[in-house]
Amino acid sequence: MRALATAAAIPSCAQFHGYSQEPIQSLGLLWRRRRCSPGARVPPSSRPTRFQNVSGRDTDEMFDDLLKKYGKVVYRGGDRKRPSAEADDDAESLSFAVTLAKVANEVKAADIRVLFVKPLVYWTRFFIIVTAFSRPQIDAIGSKIRDIAEQQFNKVASGDTKPNSWTLLDFGDVVVHIFLPQQRAFYNLEEFYGNATPIELPFDNQSPFRS
Amino acid sequence: MAIHGPRRSTTRARDHYPIKNQTSKIHLTQTLLNVADNSGARELMCIRIIGAGNHRYAHIGDVIVAVIKEAVPNMPLERSEVIRAVIVRTCKELKRDNGMIIRYDDNAAVVIDQEGNPKGTRVFGAIARELRQLNFTKIVSLAPEVL
Repeated sequence: MRALATAAAIPSCAQFHGYSQEPIQSLGLLWRRRRCSPGARVPPSSRPTRFQNVSGRDTDEMFDDLLKKYGKVVYRGGDRKRPSAEADDDAESLSFAVTLAKVANEVKAADIRVLFVKPLVYWTRFFIIVTAFSRPQIDAIGSKIRDIAEQQFNKVASGDTKPNSWTLLDFGDVVVHIFLPQQRAFYNLEEFYGNATPIELPFDNQSPFRS
Repeated sequence: MAIHGPRRSTTRARDHYPIKNQTSKIHLTQTLLNVADNSGARELMCIRIIGAGNHRYAHIGDVIVAVIKEAVPNMPLERSEVIRAVIVRTCKELKRDNGMIIRYDDNAAVVIDQEGNPKGTRVFGAIARELRQLNFTKIVSLAPEVL
């Protein structure tokens, strides 16, 4: 049997590789799950009456009852995180992002911006956007960031391996964009993510090279 | 053989047989695709799938070589130019391990250069998150919606 995923079912907290974390909202799926394990989350009091008369009753009516009683999402994945755990993850990613921004500042990257993009896109939490002025400098920034991430945070980046005019390092929760000045103006990512919250950085962000 | 048109129904009828590990496929050469960015091209024709060897079809996330069949006037890209593009949407269903199936209304691609940077500055429409695993995070970060 097939379940067609609609565009509307966008998960709020899906992680990078986690495909199984979406709340199941489709009623068809719900119905099948219920039959496999009847009343997995239904309070014990309502269990026997509901599922004894399944075959005789009009199913639509039953769904209406269920919807009225429990709201739209009746089934929830067991792997949901508590809000406090989510906040912890955010804090951890924030410290990681700020550390990477500091590292970029040490290698004389200019115009460093850290954006909290989690409310806008679900696939990552922080963007770091920096400018470098030559490909060797991009290489230096990229390799330094990789080293620090691996030594201190035990995270390995995917993304570009060679220096590129737009070099992207993807650490899962934090995505680093290193641009040449031309490309930075061309793609204008800050404008695209204009609604994201900028994070205050603990160092002076003006580069001596900036014209 | 083009993908568009009434032949699609026969393809779908065949799909009801349980074929294990079947991936979503699309894009024989000569297929016309829409362009999902503001690079200036409007329609592409696939002429080669890169890295596929002798494979017949390209899927979401595959790089193709294509010819621009139609272009927007006064833009850097012109008609009959040969470019590289990444497929971001297919009419053929994309199956995920959790049973989710994604099917778009059109076949669409994003124009990239030799280094893998997109030629446009914005991507239009929804794209699949499989692109991120395939190292096209730049396209994902320019997209308005990721499924």
